Order: sequence, then structure tokens, then C-alpha cells
Amino acid sequence: MNQVESRAWDALRNVYDPELAIDIVALGLVYAVRDEGDEVVLEITLTTPGCPVAETIPEDARAAVAEAVGPDKQVRVEIVWDPPWTPDLMEPEAAEALGFG
Amino acid sequence: MAIGASASRPSIEVTGPATERPASGPGPYRGMTATVPPASIPLAFLLMAGFGLIAFGVATAAVAKRIVSGPTALPVVGAVHFGMLAFLSTAVVGALHQFVPVITASELRSVRVARVTLVMWIAGVWLLPAGLMPNITPMIVLGGAIVVVAACLSAWNFSGPLLKASESDSVTGLRSAVAYLVVTVSFGIVYAIDLHHGWFGLLPHRVLAHASLGLLGWIGLSYVAVAEKLWPMFLLSHKEKRGVGRLAVRIVPAGVLLLALGLLFAIRWLGLLGGAVTLGGLAFHVGSFVGWVQHRKRKLELLHAFVISSMAFMVLAATAGLVAELGEMGIAWRIRVASTSVAAAAMWVALAVIGHSHKIVPFITWTTLRKRGISKKPDGKPVLFGDLFSSALARASFGISLAAGVSLIVGILGGMPVLIATGGVLLAACGVLTTSNLALWPRVVVRSIRDAEVKSDESS
Repeated sequence: MNQVESRAWDALRNVYDPELAIDIVALGLVYAVRDEGDEVVLEITLTTPGCPVAETIPEDARAAVAEAVGPDKQVRVEIVWDPPWTPDLMEPEAAEALGFG
Repeated sequence: MAIGASASRPSIEVTGPATERPASGPGPYRGMTATVPPASIPLAFLLMAGFGLIAFGVATAAVAKRIVSGPTALPVVGAVHFGMLAFLSTAVVGALHQFVPVITASELRSVRVARVTLVMWIAGVWLLPAGLMPNITPMIVLGGAIVVVAACLSAWNFSGPLLKASESDSVTGLRSAVAYLVVTVSFGIVYAIDLHHGWFGLLPHRVLAHASLGLLGWIGLSYVAVAEKLWPMFLLSHKEKRGVGRLAVRIVPAGVLLLALGLLFAIRWLGLLGGAVTLGGLAFHVGSFVGWVQHRKRKLELLHAFVISSMAFMVLAATAGLVAELGEMGIAWRIRVASTSVAAAAMWVALAVIGHSHKIVPFITWTTLRKRGISKKPDGKPVLFGDLFSSALARASFGISLAAGVSLIVGILGGMPVLIATGGVLLAACGVLTTSNLALWPRVVVRSIRDAEVKSDESS
């Protein structure tokens, strides 16, 4: 992981699922962060395809990473559904916060 | 592609293609909620439903004695319609203006028609019961006619996305539920006109046919269908087989049809068959909930206290319905037990609606606030759904609504007007509390954010 990716991951820790009150990294919604030179690519999923915050989480993630990596890089968000998110992808702390630690 | 290969996440093999974000770079991502109408439409419906709950409670308290002496008397029918139309149906129609576009990822046929529906619906659902209570026939007929037109407009609007959408449990259930809305209000207006012309006697079994269509076919089935989408989402629950919920949304409408026909034409075996089929469908609905709970990855919360309590009322409604139909008793007791069944069924959906409104309203409000640029609290942390209502008041709403239901049921079954009136007052109190919490609390949050911004500007 290079510095750009590291900054991006840190920034994504400040993007929250507004219903669960847990950040999207801890929820396991971020599948990958790749520094591809001119742009940073984020692979993000959602808890379900019909997730009501499908509109906001990707945009929040893009904005947070764009701010973290600076204006020289474009940020591209890819919503991926495969593999589908499962609660097993959550970090132990997130699972604990939801009562399943 | 290995997830996390370039970073610190555990590696998971991805076998399928990634779905590209439609528009990369700045600008809003067009997600599921991009299809919803302006938030003012569902929020106005839901706010008016809160006032409907208050009116329902007050009207119930006012006619408590009549509920015991003659539950089909017009003032009682008026109070019931405050509950069925001004409260429950208004909440469901409003929620569907948000929910249908989200689950189908399609827009309503017309936002303008949705606005017209809102105005007509609110006018009709208040005019009708307000006319029934003092028995002012022109008001009843006018209110009923407006409700029919508004219901048809909303059905037309919902039918666009619902017919386009691919098959899912929620979509299948809602197609039937919306059809039942139109059937219910059409029956209703025939009854209203019959009050004046007397084409046929408004016998108890015919009134119960109307109640079955509205309570079970329209409001109940809407809830059963919507729950199949909301429960797994709220519980973070994933399971491979969804067969039980699928059965519920298909069996309930079939059962209600048979039940309503049996009641309408006084064909006992048909009514019993319909009742049994409906109960089977509702049992699958309960089974589906149990399945989602078993597979949940999140602890149960206040919503589930509402859901489980509402299910207890559903079981009570079914039991009382069976006893009223099959038990050996005099006519007075039979009417009392049948009334208990209807009241318990109403409390089933009432508790479910009040509970789920604590999820739906904050979500819509949150989306609205973001569009106005309000997304962070004074401490810099993001505004979350949980910030937009008071949990303590929500718990109080649960306790009061549960107490109201118990008081009503015991009062009706025991023939005790005092308890019925108490239940009515508690329902009204719950309406005041819930509406204040969901409508006014966000204003307090916004004010604190604005105040902090002003202070920050002044200091800088």
C-alpha cells in the first residue's frame, strides 16, 4: 500500500453509514483502493442493492478521498456487487458495536 | 481481481464483473433514491398521518360508550375511519410514494399527480369521517368520492413503476395491495351512497367484508410486502432461501379475496376458507420475520419491540376472529368478540406503522437535510439517522401505543367504556409524541448546527 492508498483508507474511515453509525471500512464495504497514477479507484459495495443510501455513500467516499489525496488525482468510485456484501466482512469492532462481537 | 490486493483488506476473489459507477468524477451518484419524488410529498403524508392518529384517538375516546352499545353505529364508524383512512392509509400511501420508486428503481408516473393526490387524499380522508360522526350525508358522500379519486390517482401513479419492475416479494405484494386499496375505497363509496338510498342493509357481515378488504388486503398486505424488503435491511440479515416471505405475499391476497366474498355474500364455508388461507399467509409472514431474526447480524432494537408487539395483536385478532365465528355464544358476545378482532387487527398495523415511521421519516429527513447542505454536526461528525429523533421519546411512543392497544382491547372485550376512552386518549398522546419527535426534533438539530456556524463565522 503506497502513501496515497493509505491516505485514502484513512479518509474512508470518516465516511459513515448513516443508519448503522459505523464507518464504511469497518463495515467491510470498501473492497479495494488502487492508486492508478492519475486517478484513485475505489471499489465499494453496499449492504444490499436496494440500500436507501446507495446515492450518498459512494459520493461521500469520493469526496472524502478527493480531499485526502489532493487535487492532482481524480477519484473514481466503482460500485461492485460481486461478491455480495455479507455481515462476515465486518471488522470485529463493527460487529461488536452491532451486538455481534 | 483480488480485493484488498493493493491495500490492507483481507483478500477475497471476485469472479464477476464490477458494475461501473454510471458517472465518475464529481456530481451525485444516481442511486436507488434518485428516483423518488420530492421529499415534501411523503413527509406531508406522514405528518398528516400523525394528525390522523391524534384524531383517531380523540374520536375513539369520544364514542367509547357507543363502541360498547353499538359498534356499527355511524359515530363509531366515523371514529374507525379516522383510524383507517386519516391515520393508517395516509401513512401507507405516503410511505409508498417513497418506497415504490426506491424498490423498483423507477420514477412514479407523475410527480404532479402525486401532489394532486396528496391534496385530494388529505381533504377526503378528513371529510369522510368528519361527516360520518354527526351523520351529514353530503359530507360523507363528497369525502368518499374524493378518496376514491385520490386512491385511483395514487394507484395509477404506483402502477407505473410496479408494473415495470422485475418480480420480487415486495413488488408482488404491493401490486395486490394497491389493487385492494382501489377495491376497498370503491366498496366504501357504495356503502356511503347506500346510507342515503338504502339499496341494501348494512349488515354486520357486509361491514366486516369492507373491514377485511381494507385492514388485511390493503394496509396489512402493504405492510407484509414492505417488510420483506425492510426487515433484512434493518437487521443486516442475509439468508439464501426467501421462500417463506414469498408465500406470505402470495397467499394473503388470495385468502382476503375468499374471506371478503364469503363475508359479503354470507357464504360461511367460503368465509372460513378465506380466513384460514389468510391466517396461513400471515403465519408465513411471522415465519419470515423469525427467519430474518435468526440470520441477523445486528442486535434487536426498538423497531423490533414494535414489530413483535404488533404481531401479538395480529395473533389476538386471528384468535378473536376464530372464536367469534366458531364459538358458541349469544349475539351480543359475538359482536363484542368480532369487534375485538377488528380492533386487534388495527393495532397490529398501527404499531407496525408507528414503529417503522421511526426509521422511514429520519431517512427522508436526512436526505432532505443533505440536499440543503446540512450533513455535519457542530462537532464535525456526520449527521446520522439517529440524530434526527429522540430515542427516549421513541421508547415512550412505544410504551404508550402498547398501553393504548391493551386498554382498547380489554375495554372492548370487557364492555368497559372507561378503558376504551383511556385507550383513545393514549393513542392521541402517542400521536402527539411521535409527530413532535419526528417533525420537530430535526429542527432542533438544524438550529444547533446553524447556531454553531454563526458562532464559527463570528469568531473567524
